[in-house]
Amino acid sequence: MSKRHLLAMFSNFDEAELVVKELRSTSIKGFNPDDDLVVKSPIEHPEVEEFLGDKPVYVQWFTLFGALMGGLLGFFLISGSQAGFYAQMKGGKPIVPFPPNFVLTYEMFILGGVYISILGFLICAGLPAKRSPLYSTSVSEDKIAILVKSDDGGISALKAIFTKHQALEIQEEAGK
Amino acid sequence: MKDIREDIAWAKINKDVLVSLENPRKMYWVIVFSALALFSVGVGCEVYQYNVGMGVANLNNPNVWGLYIATFIFWIGMSHSGTLLSAILHLMHADWRKPIYRFAEAMTTFSLMTAGLFVMVHIGRLWQFYYAFPYPSERWVWPNFQSPLLWDAMAIFTYLSSSVLFLYVGMIPDLAICRDNLHEGWRKKLYTFLALGWEGTDRQWRNFRITYLTIACFLIPLAVSVHSIVASDFAMSQQPGWHVTSFPPYFVAGALYSGCAAIITLFIILRYVFKFEDYMTKSILKKTVRLTFAIAMVWTYLNAVEFAAVWYGHDVDAKQVLIQKATGPFAPFWWGMIFCGSVLPLILAFKRFQTNIPVLFAVSLLLNLGMWLERWMIVAPTFSHGYYPWVWDNDQWPSLVQWGMVMGSFGWFTLLFMIFCKVFPSVSMYEVKEMVYHRSLHLKKDETAEQGAH
Amino acid sequence: MSVGTLLENWSEFRHFHPVDDKPHDPYKWAMSIDLDTCTGCNACSVACYAENNIPVVGKEKFQHGQQMHWMRIERYWSEDDREFPDQGAQFLPMMCQQCEAAPCETVCPVGATNHTADGLNSQIYNRCIGSRYCSANCPFKVRYFNWYDYPTVDNVWPAEMTRQLNPDVSVRGKGVMEKCTFCVQRLRAVEVTAKSEGRIVREGEVQTACQQACPSSAISFGNLVDPESRVHKQWAAQQVVLEADEQEKNKEHGTSELRGYRILEELRPYPSVMYLEQVRESAV
Repeated sequence: MSKRHLLAMFSNFDEAELVVKELRSTSIKGFNPDDDLVVKSPIEHPEVEEFLGDKPVYVQWFTLFGALMGGLLGFFLISGSQAGFYAQMKGGKPIVPFPPNFVLTYEMFILGGVYISILGFLICAGLPAKRSPLYSTSVSEDKIAILVKSDDGGISALKAIFTKHQALEIQEEAGK
Repeated sequence: MKDIREDIAWAKINKDVLVSLENPRKMYWVIVFSALALFSVGVGCEVYQYNVGMGVANLNNPNVWGLYIATFIFWIGMSHSGTLLSAILHLMHADWRKPIYRFAEAMTTFSLMTAGLFVMVHIGRLWQFYYAFPYPSERWVWPNFQSPLLWDAMAIFTYLSSSVLFLYVGMIPDLAICRDNLHEGWRKKLYTFLALGWEGTDRQWRNFRITYLTIACFLIPLAVSVHSIVASDFAMSQQPGWHVTSFPPYFVAGALYSGCAAIITLFIILRYVFKFEDYMTKSILKKTVRLTFAIAMVWTYLNAVEFAAVWYGHDVDAKQVLIQKATGPFAPFWWGMIFCGSVLPLILAFKRFQTNIPVLFAVSLLLNLGMWLERWMIVAPTFSHGYYPWVWDNDQWPSLVQWGMVMGSFGWFTLLFMIFCKVFPSVSMYEVKEMVYHRSLHLKKDETAEQGAH
Repeated sequence: MSVGTLLENWSEFRHFHPVDDKPHDPYKWAMSIDLDTCTGCNACSVACYAENNIPVVGKEKFQHGQQMHWMRIERYWSEDDREFPDQGAQFLPMMCQQCEAAPCETVCPVGATNHTADGLNSQIYNRCIGSRYCSANCPFKVRYFNWYDYPTVDNVWPAEMTRQLNPDVSVRGKGVMEKCTFCVQRLRAVEVTAKSEGRIVREGEVQTACQQACPSSAISFGNLVDPESRVHKQWAAQQVVLEADEQEKNKEHGTSELRGYRILEELRPYPSVMYLEQVRESAV
């Protein structure tokens, strides 16, 4: 069944919070508040995360993996190349000296951690993303937007909730 | 005095910052063109040196390192306070950093790029530069991983790429604002591409917050390690005056110091040319100045520790190098460094100078002069008074080619920095909004509490 | 593959040289210089220029300190109120000390300078990128950098002089570091001949250019591990041990009567050149 999008704009977080709470408590056919509800805001706002309920973030696992792989790769690349075909003595130090290799391992640990975290961020945040069907440039200025999607049947119920909370503007996706 | 007015409307923040991308004061163009001219001088010097040979720099056989290495350390050092502002103060929840950290981070990136250039102009065979990279070769030849110079290369590569990524990730929400508000043209295309389709959804913000925090945590030890490794170029060697255990923390303190001074300079310039008086307020300036003062005192202390350790140690050669610094041919520069680095910052302790813009502008430039002298005084005297008597009293005055390239580097840095500030928002819009929002909430809470009391 | 080599030869790769390593076998090239015999005539330095194609930089560059003398004669005057200070003159021929644990080797970013199996400190011109870190970390300051492209600089080797260049030694271009090699081209030639005849190089079979030119035979050079060699005998007689950072003879009585010493031994570079202290005055 085809779904349609609806976007409502609010002027501050308190109003948006009330709307989200109501959306989560009322059951509308064809609308699941966990999956079909997106809040867009101009600033990072931890309260949004609270009233939207727990949604896990997995970036830190990418970080852990990246840092460990970076460190291991660094150490074995360096020690392996020192012990390679041209095992060459320098300055009376062992062919595989630990202090320098640890310094470089440390750098590679950070390098791997940072790169893979960024990769994880892009994957987890779904970036780069196509523009969503409904968007208002005032979100990047000062408005809070709530984007919902629902079956045709639920649209009017959702619209009623938005109107009740005095949405500044409601955009509706044209039906297919 | 407030860090920022709580009643600035969010829309006005967008407008004020976006204006900086369009029409700055005339001074902007004056700065850009003088920087370009200076940079051309540097390029000319390098072309000459490349063609004729390193000898034109007037280096000689005991004095093999000159201003290039000193200036290299200077620029690496300067890069450190971008990280201080964006990462350390971020973890400490100091929200006054928000209007000024973006340009500090840009400063980090561009001063690292400038430092990288000095490695290149320094080496004798620039065309074989790539030998220093660990690239797989069919001959199984690798660089020497024991060399502190190679650690440098690795640390700078890590630091530069991580800071570029950190700068970029932190800028994505602002790029989306630019995308939404700018008229059609090449810039709009650029912002649309770089904003990656950011719309400020809750999922994006949630991942953004964790990522930003994680990278900030990585950047702090990274920044410390970068300058410790630069210090290792000297501390790992055997030469008197260089082989000093306290060098790594000393270098890190010096780095933060010169970086903070540079932030004050650039703060004042940006505030003027882009009319950022509402965001880069005197109150924030005052906090930066106090931070600089504290770091200046740490640097002074570590300097004293180094001198005392050398003086009371039994290493005759190191002691002679120290005496030669204070009394030999380098004495004017060495005492200049002590004056600019340790005495001059004392006026930052006085409240009346903490917000006096002309005074701060002059002082911040002099502090950086002192820090540049410090780097030169670390590199040069050891060459003219090492272990071996043959090199004693053999000091070599750098030629105009070296000075030209030092000047050129300032041009190159300023050019990159000013172009960045014109093309990208140099004040973080979304974070200033957060700052205003949280402060107004706080204010409201106080008001309600007050009313309740009545 | 490399990691396999790494794990197989682990203990071999964790040795410190020369202190807990076996001595070089069959060759360890070393030198001893008798300062009592040295007259400071500079013949060694001239021979070195001729043998190793060292550029003669000319007055102006010399004034800038850009000279390239791999072998230099240092002069020191006694400051004990003589009528003529040069009566107390002392000479010290100084060149690369071919350290067993050379400080220059560890700091080179590209590994252009290494320790060889016959105990030399090698310099690979083709690999050098000219960071000059080796010279910065050399306690003796015996490394020389090519500040200009000398083969093309006027009057370094005037027209017909290029014919006297030694074909066995490469001519260095600008931007690379160079230094005394113990005349490695001569060493390699005799090592190869000896190997093809199934023996090791005999004492006296090879001489360095400076040794050959020294009119007073102050310089002796040879294989330190060969008990028959003059160098071995001299080192043994002077009780100078290659892998010691402080000689036993000095530990017991403070200073020894024996004349042999190595310069800056306490920095632990383990130099391969022993000097014999001057006992006579040079101009009496």
